[in-house]
Amino acid sequence: MTSSPVDPLILERSRRRIFLALFTALAVALHTLEALLPSPAPWFRFGFANIFTVTALFLYGAGAAWGVMLGRVAVGSLVLGNLFSPGFLLSLSGGVFATALMTISRALFGVRIGPVGVSVLGAAGHATGQIFVAWLVLVRHDGLWRLFPFFLLVSLVTGVLNGWGADALTGMLRRHRAFSERLRKDEG
Amino acid sequence: MALRDLLSRTTLLDRVIVLVLFAAALAGAAWAAVAPGGERLVAESGGKIVFTAPLGADLTFTLPGPLGETVVALRGGVARILDSPCTHKVCIGMGGVSRAGEITACVPNRLLLRVEGGRGQEAEYDLLTR
Repeated sequence: MTSSPVDPLILERSRRRIFLALFTALAVALHTLEALLPSPAPWFRFGFANIFTVTALFLYGAGAAWGVMLGRVAVGSLVLGNLFSPGFLLSLSGGVFATALMTISRALFGVRIGPVGVSVLGAAGHATGQIFVAWLVLVRHDGLWRLFPFFLLVSLVTGVLNGWGADALTGMLRRHRAFSERLRKDEG
Repeated sequence: MALRDLLSRTTLLDRVIVLVLFAAALAGAAWAAVAPGGERLVAESGGKIVFTAPLGADLTFTLPGPLGETVVALRGGVARILDSPCTHKVCIGMGGVSRAGEITACVPNRLLLRVEGGRGQEAEYDLLTR
């Protein structure tokens, strides 16, 4: 395919849209892959898909982060065939809590917070959201909260790792032509 | 150095957030670990209590659920699910429960096992004086 002469602004905008679609697609792929992997401990997930939510938040803004997360949960659950099941509900509640915390922290702290901080807050939000909805819907028993510190510990470790991943990805993509400074403030 | 490179990728606020959350999680874990030992094992199926036993008992029993029968073992004050007809076997992987307030469950089979503390709870707080 040859590239036709086209308004560079439109070209950049299209490139950015394609990247966002790729983020969502990759997040779905990771979400599905992780669900298929045997987990080393019950309820333990790396949450690698969150790398793309964080990256979208930093490269595009809050709206894109919500889009990637909701798209991942919706399409991911269709792929796994667990739409509206308890597992789907836990994914969704974790994702909503995580993304809410991440977008709010980014809005509050701006450049003072980096991908690692955002990702860790997201991981903590994910653990909180999951256990809260599990307590609300599945097991109405206070003993569930005793498990919470352990979930939180695991999620913090994965949150830091994912934060570094998102930081590396963001740094790499900022050098791409689709994310030149010119358009950064235009969208998101 | 790799570690320095990773640290340079974080802002001051990032580090503060990570440390505060870690401290909170560790404190919570410590609090959960010192919870008093339980007295009674209670099994619920679909919200109704179907089985209770003193935690000191030594027995293996089966509980019916929508999917089939779940096998539970109570041994040495620890209750654990040995086998269940669910697909992911998460309940088996969750291990044993022994402390008051701890639960284990087979959600697909609608079974919930919880440990209840009795009046002996206060005595357990004497850990420091022992």
